Amino acid sequence: MNHSADKIQKESDQLYRSHYGKMVGWLLYFSSDIDLETAEDIVHDAFASAIVAWRNDGIPANQAGWIFTVCRNKALNKIKERKRITGINHVTHAAVHEPEFSESVLKDQQLKLLFACAHPDLSPKTQVIITLKYVANLKVEAIASVFGMTIDGIDKILVRARQKIRNEKILLAVPNPRSLQARLPIVHKIIYLIYNEGYKSSWGKEILREELCEEALLMNKELLDQNIGNTETAALQALMLFNAARFKARFGPDGELRDLEEQDRSLWNRGLIALGCEFLERSKAGPISPYHYEAAIAYLHCKEKDFKNTDWQSISQLYFHLLKINPNPFVQLNYAIALYYAGEKTMSQKLLKELEEKPFLNQYYLLNATMGKIYLLEKNYTIARSFFNKTLHQTNFEAEKNYIAKMIKKIDEVEGLKS
Amino acid sequence: MQKFLLIIRDDVQRLAKLSREEMNSNILEMTTWVEELAQSGNWVNGEPLMHEGRYVSRDHVLSDGPFIEAKEAVSGYITIRAENLNQAASIAQTCPKVTRNEVVIEVREIMVMDEEVRPSGYKEE
Repeated sequence: MNHSADKIQKESDQLYRSHYGKMVGWLLYFSSDIDLETAEDIVHDAFASAIVAWRNDGIPANQAGWIFTVCRNKALNKIKERKRITGINHVTHAAVHEPEFSESVLKDQQLKLLFACAHPDLSPKTQVIITLKYVANLKVEAIASVFGMTIDGIDKILVRARQKIRNEKILLAVPNPRSLQARLPIVHKIIYLIYNEGYKSSWGKEILREELCEEALLMNKELLDQNIGNTETAALQALMLFNAARFKARFGPDGELRDLEEQDRSLWNRGLIALGCEFLERSKAGPISPYHYEAAIAYLHCKEKDFKNTDWQSISQLYFHLLKINPNPFVQLNYAIALYYAGEKTMSQKLLKELEEKPFLNQYYLLNATMGKIYLLEKNYTIARSFFNKTLHQTNFEAEKNYIAKMIKKIDEVEGLKS
Repeated sequence: MQKFLLIIRDDVQRLAKLSREEMNSNILEMTTWVEELAQSGNWVNGEPLMHEGRYVSRDHVLSDGPFIEAKEAVSGYITIRAENLNQAASIAQTCPKVTRNEVVIEVREIMVMDEEVRPSGYKEE
């Protein structure tokens, strides 16, 4: 039976998405003679042959099994080529040993890949990119669109990163629990960054964004389920769940951006909030990390029925502690906002003034939008307007531009009433 | 984590010719990158530099320096936190201006001095 080219492409794309990393991981596990680059080539070849073969013979019932068999044969050929001189005892042994496509081994392999991606020599962004490629099985095109980069740019990063990982033993050896623990903080950061990338309101394609958030939650959950994670992992899980609960409410019916005050809180997902609370509870046994503070802040927002009851006192204290262990101007901005709502206006102004004097920050969309909003609340409309106007060329994103336009319109209305 | 200084070397002649819009989009791009570094916990601080400068030496021969004539000059610096020199270099590589081959970044680890050898009055930031 023949299938249409479209259907075959779709099926193989789906399979690629769900199995690419598993196949690559399995090949590395299958033989220590196969390095990452070869493994990837083999899997790519296998998918290419599938499209040709399935067009002629129809799509097999067990597609993953089909691809897997092709991968195995190709791998054996590669090894034979290399071992021709040294003898093929090892290969024949591997060949008679029918490999099992065991789910648990695959999962371990994928976790191994995740820890291999957390190589301390790579920049966090590179770590995120290779994790999206090898653990989340995202295609290069999708990764490029996430980062607003060209496919070529992503490819270059992948080539460089692959060279690094190739020299690594972590993929081939049985993972040593201690070396995994040492890399756990980096793995956390990768997951956190993938989640944030998905959560950012600033770029399109909502489906892809949600997918990134989901991937991050799943990877992190896997760490906990396999007992590799610790209380920090639990705090991170709580933090991501609390934010996920508000995912949909951040936009109005026409896709317009809604800030915390404007969000319809009945749209917040109570189930996710409850689940987040469980993980927050679990996280309490260990030392306090930045994820703990962020999770606690997110929780305080989630538990209130309306904006005006928000416990800004506690939130600003949490930001204060977060800022102490993670000094960074963007946290300081949030701290200043919390202080403002907590009624500590002088302190808030002082911090904002400090930020305004920093290069880069004074050109930062969120800082100027915040200044605008605060002056608006203080009924200082002229200054508020000047800050909002300043932001207009500081973002390329429609949703953010529209938000500013809405705020300026608000000022126009109030000033219209006065005159 | 150690601290590293990223010294940004730019083509000054090109910078001088940028239009207002180009400058704005450059700033936006760098701000986005800085935000990214802050989010991953690597950002410490940084500042761009003005084009004009002076070279001084013992014989107080002051010149405008090769800042104007030379193609390349330091146009800014950034301090980051990183696991090691390799990671710091890898982070510098993600700078959008490096990606577009507009600047070269020199990456140097900042020396940590022991408590005893610090000159008096030395203050940790």
